[in-house]
Amino acid sequence: MKKTFLGTTILAAGLLSAGAIALEQGPFTADQSRAGRALYVANCAACHGPELKGAGEAPPLAGTTFIAAWGNRSSDELYNLVKASMPYGNGNSLDADTYKKIVAYVLAANGAQPGSKALTGGESVKINTIADGKTPPAMAAEERTSARGGEGGAPRPATFYPQTRFGVTVSGTLPDYDPVTDAMLAHPKDGDWLMYRRNYQGWSHSPLNQINAGNVKGLQLAWSWAMNDGGAAQVTPIVHDGIMFLSNTANTVQALDARTGELIWENRIGPAPTRAYGATRSLALYGDKVFVPTTDAKLYALDAKTGKIVWQSVIEDAKEGYSNTGGAIAIHGKILVGLTYCNRYETKHCFISAYDANTGKVAWRFKTIALKGEPGGDTWNNLPDEFRQGAETWIAGTYDPDLNTTYWGTAQSKPWTRASRASGAGATLYANSTLALDPDSGKLKWYYTHAPGENFDLDEVFERVLVDHGASKDVLTIGKVGVLWKLNRVTGQYEDSAQTVFQNVFDKIDPKTGIPTYRKDVLAAKVGDWISSCPGPAGGHDWPATSYDPKTDLMVIPLHQSCVMMRAEPMEKKIGVGGDAGSQKLFEMPGTDGNLGKLAAYNTTTMKALWSFQQKAPFLTGVLTTDGGVGFVGDFDRRVRAFETSTGRTLWQTRLPTSAQGHIVSYAVGGKQYIAIESGLGGGSPVGKPTTLLPGIHHPNNGNGLFVFALPPEN
Amino acid sequence: MRRAGISFLALGLLATPVMAESFETRLSPSPLTDGTRINITGEGRALVQWDGNILSVSGNFTGLATGVTTAALYDGAGIGIPGPKVFDLTVSPGTSGTIWASIKLTSSQLRELRAGHFYVQIDSEKAPDGNLTGWLLPPYPFAGEGVPVAGPGFLPQFDVPQKPSSR
Repeated sequence: MKKTFLGTTILAAGLLSAGAIALEQGPFTADQSRAGRALYVANCAACHGPELKGAGEAPPLAGTTFIAAWGNRSSDELYNLVKASMPYGNGNSLDADTYKKIVAYVLAANGAQPGSKALTGGESVKINTIADGKTPPAMAAEERTSARGGEGGAPRPATFYPQTRFGVTVSGTLPDYDPVTDAMLAHPKDGDWLMYRRNYQGWSHSPLNQINAGNVKGLQLAWSWAMNDGGAAQVTPIVHDGIMFLSNTANTVQALDARTGELIWENRIGPAPTRAYGATRSLALYGDKVFVPTTDAKLYALDAKTGKIVWQSVIEDAKEGYSNTGGAIAIHGKILVGLTYCNRYETKHCFISAYDANTGKVAWRFKTIALKGEPGGDTWNNLPDEFRQGAETWIAGTYDPDLNTTYWGTAQSKPWTRASRASGAGATLYANSTLALDPDSGKLKWYYTHAPGENFDLDEVFERVLVDHGASKDVLTIGKVGVLWKLNRVTGQYEDSAQTVFQNVFDKIDPKTGIPTYRKDVLAAKVGDWISSCPGPAGGHDWPATSYDPKTDLMVIPLHQSCVMMRAEPMEKKIGVGGDAGSQKLFEMPGTDGNLGKLAAYNTTTMKALWSFQQKAPFLTGVLTTDGGVGFVGDFDRRVRAFETSTGRTLWQTRLPTSAQGHIVSYAVGGKQYIAIESGLGGGSPVGKPTTLLPGIHHPNNGNGLFVFALPPEN
Repeated sequence: MRRAGISFLALGLLATPVMAESFETRLSPSPLTDGTRINITGEGRALVQWDGNILSVSGNFTGLATGVTTAALYDGAGIGIPGPKVFDLTVSPGTSGTIWASIKLTSSQLRELRAGHFYVQIDSEKAPDGNLTGWLLPPYPFAGEGVPVAGPGFLPQFDVPQKPSSR
């Protein structure tokens, strides 16, 4: 009996072993997969990497992580997904034969053997019957060679960005430049827009009132400017004394005459954009310099008069995938920046850092992950330090000069789900928190975690807005779950919250502490379970920022309404492995009739909504309000609206060449008020989700540009 | 005498016609990816009315990529959270058509309906795990794209009641 059992066991083991290597032939030919390699490099490697390892939000396309996510799915689903959505933001732009060859190459890179029949895209072959995630040695060697030969660790794709030289490509000198002081930053001139959200409080509000509810319908285009394509553009024009400093993809900075759009100087710092995120969201001005945090995780100081590099400092090693797109803030002669793409298992972790504005020397770093033995280090379910990742800072912070405190939000921990992270019920500090830091030392004054142990890619990383209510000094923020939070910014104590869109993630929010309780099925979810989340990864609220109008005490909030089914994928606990490890299926938010876009105005004292409206297209710009009682916002469907701040009534609208994106600003030159609005492409979930859910809305896949409006001369 | 009065009162209440309750939904593509979107297409509307005794379901759909196979009412664990099938619906064949049913509900099922947990799902040949889905909620008028309304708009936060502001 025992012998028989042993024999059975051996037989079973033999079968299993044979099963592990007995893959069926792939539904593609060797010619297809060979040709697919070059096409992959040209169209996919910029985001997914030459070795198909993935980076940032681009998932791995080979190996155990790929097979875990795709093994039980079919080859036609892979083909249809690649064809419909790739290259990122430019789906269905290649011919069908190219897509077939790329998919053939991806299957081959996962160990699938070519067969005699060419891939048509219609084959429904389960991927784990033909591929095991093991790249054939010869193919792996070729990929490594390709990786070494490319700039910044990746080959430059032929179709992604035009060939160009880098450096100062247009020389010029500003005749006069008034250096930017601490006083100017604390009390900006009405006509200036000196930083990301105009003032240290992060209001995105202009005190200009020449354009008002009575005359806004007369707005006309004053000038326009084509911007670099080839990557995401979600930028903020910065304006000082009639000069506009504009960031572009490829870490290009331009100085323009803000009245006419004439170019004065241009520095294409480079490198060419190699990620979905292409241009920094905001430059910073201080003294006689322009500060540029770059996609390759460096900080540059340019001479504001000429655009020439004064110094550069490495924030973190870009070859390891780190980046900065969140912009910078200048405080007391220091330049503060965040860090992104900290989603691989490494001994390093994400941090906020400060640099001397004159020299570029590092002043301090604050690590946004609590390690073992540190305060908060016991919130990671005892995970080794290298497996505690995430807590990126996608958005530059705000600052209270009176309290000498800077406020930053952090992203969720990585991988996205509790099950993939193996973080148990831990809060995973300091992910998804508001951090209050001393800007001189980087010392943590307090923190508040909005979503402890988050599970669905629902960041709470976005803008921190500082508002005083009588003697109460508050900080407001809203994240992807759509809860508008109000904290005391002196102490970090929870004060109030308001739900702005439907959510089903939290069962309750404690009215005294603000601590949310997750649904039971969320807490019990295992790797492989599909779990619902409303909102999904586009929010609620995402990077398109709110605006606070001090005259009406209204915060106008761009909101997004869609949901996701998310499945936690396994994540190998190994240095160098990484990613978000969450598969997604999208659906409309119940009760919205498919209106993904919502704009709502909340009184920040009462936390009650005064008005709201919905529309199909989600908003992809930050909101601007002005002292003229008029606000501006732009959307995925190329539309820009001017609305009455107090009622939400549309007063004027126009269409741009492609989706409106970035941060709308207002400034004045020579006594004339201007409104600058960007058309832009690229980005993550805010543009990716509507691309999937709203196939009837089309916008061109090129057209990054700036459009500046003003009233005609007679006004 | 007093007892009889209470009985009459009770009978009177029972005899009063129950106001019909309505719930409705847009039927929109079930959870999808860019890879499955080719097979998960279409839209529709469904209306259910509870007359105090019978739940009447009616609806229509159009634009499926492949022929409809089944339609059913499901009881989710919450709004937007999938759950088990509870009633089959009658569905006309094809890529567009109608659904209908008359159903008796238990009191617990009625509570689920009122909590927004019931949803309609239509399956098709190439989308057997869901082609169109819609969560049945009380009627919510839509003012029109870009037309402002007072307050936050329709927020069916039945499982997480919104507290009054604390300030």
